[in-house]
Amino acid sequence: MSKIGVFICHCGENISATVDVERVSKEIGGMEGVAHAIDYKYMCSDPGQTFIKEAVKKYDLDGVVVGACSPRMHEPTFRRACAESGLNPYLCEMANLREHCSWVHEKSEETTDKAIDLVKMLVEKVKKNKPLDSIKVPVTKRALVIGGGIAGIQASLDIANTGHQVILIEKDPSIGGHMSQLSETFPTLDCSQCILTPRMVEVAQHPNIKLYTYAELESLEGFIGNFTAKIRLKAKSVNYSTCTGCGACIQKCPVKKIPSEFNAGLGTRTAIYVPFPQAVPNKPVIDRVNCNYYKRGACKICEKTCQVGSIEWDKEDEIITEQVGAVVLATGFDVKGADFFPEYGYGKFKDVLTGLQFERLASASGPTFGEIRRPSDGAIPKKIVFIACAGSRDPAKGIPYCSKICCMYTAKHAMLYQHKVHDGESTVFYMDIRAGGKNYEEFVRRAIEEDTVNYIRGRVARVYEKNGKLIVKGVDTLLGGEQVEIEADMVVLATAGVANCGSEQLAQKLHVSYDPYHFFAEAHPKLKPVETNTAGIFLAGACQAPKDIPETVGMASGAAVKVAALFSNDQLVREPVVAVVNRLAPPLYSTCVGCFMCETACPYNAIEHEEIKGRDGSLIRTIARVNQGLCQGCGTCVAFCRSKSIDIQGYTNEQVYAEVMSLLND
Amino acid sequence: MSSNTVFEPKIIAFVCNWCTYAGADLTGTSRLKYATNVKIVRFPCTGRIDFLLLLKSFAQGADGVIVSGCHPNDCHYTSGNFHARRRWIAFRAILDLMGVDIRRIQYSWVSAAEGSKWADLVNNTVSEIRALGPYTEYQQVADYLEKGGYNGEA
Amino acid sequence: MEKLRGRAAALLADGSVALIIGYEEGTKRPRPLFCRNSESTKKLIFDSRCINNLAVYITKKELVGKDRIAVTASISTLRSILQLYVENQLSEEKLLVLTVDLNGELREFVTFDEISAYVAQFELKRGEREQEILSKIEGMNREERWKFWLGEMSHCFKCYACRSACPLCYCSKCVVEVNRPQWINPWPAPLANMEWHINRAMHMVGRCTACGACGDACPVGIPIDLITRKMMKDMAPEFGYIPGQPAKQGNALSSWKLDDREQFIR
Repeated sequence: MSKIGVFICHCGENISATVDVERVSKEIGGMEGVAHAIDYKYMCSDPGQTFIKEAVKKYDLDGVVVGACSPRMHEPTFRRACAESGLNPYLCEMANLREHCSWVHEKSEETTDKAIDLVKMLVEKVKKNKPLDSIKVPVTKRALVIGGGIAGIQASLDIANTGHQVILIEKDPSIGGHMSQLSETFPTLDCSQCILTPRMVEVAQHPNIKLYTYAELESLEGFIGNFTAKIRLKAKSVNYSTCTGCGACIQKCPVKKIPSEFNAGLGTRTAIYVPFPQAVPNKPVIDRVNCNYYKRGACKICEKTCQVGSIEWDKEDEIITEQVGAVVLATGFDVKGADFFPEYGYGKFKDVLTGLQFERLASASGPTFGEIRRPSDGAIPKKIVFIACAGSRDPAKGIPYCSKICCMYTAKHAMLYQHKVHDGESTVFYMDIRAGGKNYEEFVRRAIEEDTVNYIRGRVARVYEKNGKLIVKGVDTLLGGEQVEIEADMVVLATAGVANCGSEQLAQKLHVSYDPYHFFAEAHPKLKPVETNTAGIFLAGACQAPKDIPETVGMASGAAVKVAALFSNDQLVREPVVAVVNRLAPPLYSTCVGCFMCETACPYNAIEHEEIKGRDGSLIRTIARVNQGLCQGCGTCVAFCRSKSIDIQGYTNEQVYAEVMSLLND
Repeated sequence: MSSNTVFEPKIIAFVCNWCTYAGADLTGTSRLKYATNVKIVRFPCTGRIDFLLLLKSFAQGADGVIVSGCHPNDCHYTSGNFHARRRWIAFRAILDLMGVDIRRIQYSWVSAAEGSKWADLVNNTVSEIRALGPYTEYQQVADYLEKGGYNGEA
Repeated sequence: MEKLRGRAAALLADGSVALIIGYEEGTKRPRPLFCRNSESTKKLIFDSRCINNLAVYITKKELVGKDRIAVTASISTLRSILQLYVENQLSEEKLLVLTVDLNGELREFVTFDEISAYVAQFELKRGEREQEILSKIEGMNREERWKFWLGEMSHCFKCYACRSACPLCYCSKCVVEVNRPQWINPWPAPLANMEWHINRAMHMVGRCTACGACGDACPVGIPIDLITRKMMKDMAPEFGYIPGQPAKQGNALSSWKLDDREQFIR
C-alpha cells in the first residue's frame, strides 16, 4: 500500500481563514494509503519544508501532497525539498487550496469539503505517480546564424566571443544587410557604414566564425542541441581562394546597366560585381541571369581580364551539411516599393522614391555621392515632401501594424536634406509622430525646430505630375481638415516594413510559426521575445517585426545569450514531462500499431518511426517513438491514441483517471 | 424547491495548465468569488484531454463538465487547442446522436488574464446545470448492476 | 469470372503472390476464400453478392505472412484499403488488388494512386435501411434518442463481432483490453455497452469508410454501422474531406483548420 504524506498549509491565514485546515488534515489522514497528514502555518518556510523532509524519512513516504498555493507558484520549492530528502521530486504534487479554493469562496462547510476533495484528488494521483528522471540531451556546441545583416552580425560575434563556433550564412554576396545601405543613423547622425564596417570585418576575421555568403538554408532536421543543417552554396562562378579582389573584371564587364540592388535601383552595376565597395568578402560573383556568357554563350571578357584565372564557368551549386546545436534566425525585413501605391503613381514618377532609395541618395557612397539629386533630371530638389505611414497602419492595404522606424528615419531624411540643401523646403505629412526611444523625441523636435522642417498632420490623398512638378494633395487635420497642395520636386514615401519574401517557406523548413504578416512568431510576446516555439531556434532583429538598429542589436545579443546558455552545458537537462510509447517484451514489442495519428497531430515533429527488426535484420514492425529532445509535453498525441499505447509522463492515463475517479467517488 | 434543498450539481473542470489553470489562479489572486461546485483537474494542454474522461465523469456522478483552455492562437503548444476543438466537434455530434445531454458539457476558452471570465463561467455553468437537475438518466445506466436495472425496475 | 480465375491461377503459379483472398460460394451467400494454390482458384467468384469486406484480412500478420498477396476487392474493400494505406498499414510492394469493373472487365491495381483514381468515380450512397432508421432517429427528441439507443444496446452482449469485422479495427490491443486504467469494462452492461459504442464511433471519426461490415456482423442486429456512417457524413463537410474517398491527406481528426466551427465554445 502507498505511504503518502499530506501537508496542509495555512498560508498564514490565506487558507485557514475560509478553510478548516484541521478538518482537512484529519479527514485526509484517514484516507487509505495516507501515512501521515499534518497542517502547518507556512509549509513553504524553512520549518515547513523541514517537516516534509523529516516525514519522508520517518514514515518512508513514497509520495507527497502539499495542499497550499498554486503549483505554478511553489511546485519547484516542494519538489526540491522532496529531492533533498531522497524522494524522487516527481512523486510530489500540490493541491491548489489557495487560488482555487480559499480565496474564491466564503468560509463555509462547502469550502472545506471542496478543499478535502482537491487534496483527495491529488492523493489519488500521487499513488499513480512514478519516479522520473530529468531528460538529458547532448548538445552540439556550434550555432547556425541565418542572415548577415546587423542582427546576424551581432549575434554571430556575441556567440563567437563566448568561445563557441558559429556558422553564418547570408544569401547575398556580402554581409551587411539593410544597415549597410543607410546613410546616417538616427538619433546621432553617425554614418552607418562607419559603425558597421568594422563589425563586418570582425566577422570575416573571427577565428570562431565560418562565413558562407551567397548561401541559403536548404533544410534543417533534428532538434535542440542536435540539428543537421543542409546549406546551399550558390555558385559564385569565381574561385575565392585565388581571387585577389582586384576588381579588374568588374571594370571590364560589358553588361553595365543592371539596376543595383544595393542602391535600391537608383544606380547600376555590372554582371560580375561586388555589391558595394566595403563588401565582406570583397570579391565578386557573377550574376548568371544577366551575364552575357550564361545568356548567350559568348563574352568571357572577365576571364581574359583575370590575372589569376579565378573565373569558374562550370561551377555548380554545392550542398554542404553542418551539425549545429542552435539556430539564430536573423533574416531581416523588406520595404514595400513605390509600385505598391496607386495613389502615388504606382512608382511611375521617377522622383517619387522610397525611404530606402532616399538613404542611397543621401549616402556618400551612393549613386550621387551624397548629393540630393532628382533621379529624373539630376536637378537638386528645392521642395521635397516626405509621406510617413505609406502603407503602414492601413488595414485597407493589409498592413494594420506600425512599421516603427519610419517616423524616425523620416525626421532624419528631412534633416539630412536641410543640411545638404540649405535653401530647400521640406514638408512631412504624418499621422502621429512615434518617437519612443532614447533621444528620439528630442531628435524629431530638432528637425522641426532647428532645421525648420514643416510637419503637417494629415494624409496625402494623391500625388500627380504637372509641368515637371509633383503635385501633392493632402489635408491638414490640425487646421480642421483644410486642403493642402504642394508643388514638390521630389516625394519620399516612408513605405511599410514587411516580412522578407520567402519567410513563410523558411519558417516551414524550420518548423517555426509565423504571424499573419509572415514575420516569425516569438514563443511569448513578453517573456520569450527571442525564443521561437521550436526549442533551440531563436530570433534576432526585424524578421520578428520591424525594429530599429539598437533594438535589433539588443535582440541579437539576447538571442546570443540564449544560445550561449544552451551551450554552457554538455547536456541539456529537461523536465521529464514528455510522451513515451510503451515497449513490451517480444513478440509484442509494443501495443502501438503504427497508424501514426500521433505523428500527424504532433506540433513539434517529435514522433519518429522506429523499425523493429528481427535477428536476421528483417523488418517486423514499424512503431512510433517519441524524440524526447523535441517533445514539449503537450500530450495531444496521448488523447488521439486509440490503443492507449502512448502516454505522457506526469499526466499519465492512470494518473488523470485516478483524479477523476476520486473527485466523484463518495 | 425550498432553499435548503437547492440542488448542488457536481461539476468537474478539465483545464489546461497554461491558460485556464492560470486564469483560475488569477481569479484567486483577484479574490473574485464563485460557487464551490467545480473542481479542477489540471492538464498540460486541452489537446491532452481524452474524451473518455468526460464520459467517465458522468458515469461517476458528475452532473456537468467544463472543458477549458487557451484561446485560438494562444496555445502554449501552438495547436493543442485546435486539435481539441476538432475533437469536441466530433464528440458532441456523436453524443448528440446517442442522446447524451450535451448541454451538460461546457466548452470555453479562458486565458491566463481572464480571471473574471473564469468566475463567470463557473457561476453560469453551475446555475445552468442546476436548472437541468441531476444527470440521473446517465447515472442510472452506470449504476445498473448495483441497483438492479433502470430506475430499479428490472 | 474466367479471366479472374485465370489471372489468379497465373499469379500463384509464377509466384508473384503467395496468397489470394477472394470469395467462393457459401451455403447462403458468398464467403471468403483463401487461395494458396492454382487449384483452389477454380472456386473463385466475384459478383454483387460478395459483400464481405476482405480488407479486414490483409492486416492480419498471421494470415498474410511476409509475402506479397492479392485481394479481390469490391468498392467498399477498395475504400478500406485506401484508408489502411493512409494509416501506414499497407505497402504497395506487398499488395496486388484485383477487381471487376462495371463493364465486367478485370482490373488490376499496383499503386494506391490507381485505386484512389478508380474509387473517385463512385459516389457513396446511403442505403434504404440506413435512410429509414436515420429518418426515424432524426424525428426523435434527445430523450427518445437516448431511450432508443439504450434499448438497442441492451441486446449487445459484447461479442466484439463489430470489431472483428471492421478492417480499421486492427489494433493489437483494443482499448477495452487496456486495464491500467480499465477505461471501459469489457463485459456486457448498459454503461460498458454505451461507452464501447461511443468510443468506437469516436475512434472511427474521419476514418470510417461506410462499408457497413460492423452492422452486418452484429448477431443481434444493432444498427451500429449507422453511428459511424452518420458521423462520416456529418463530419466530412465539417472537416473538409470527401466521404468514401480516403486520400493521403492525413487523418481528418488529427488535423485542424483555423476556422473550424466553434460557436459551441464560450
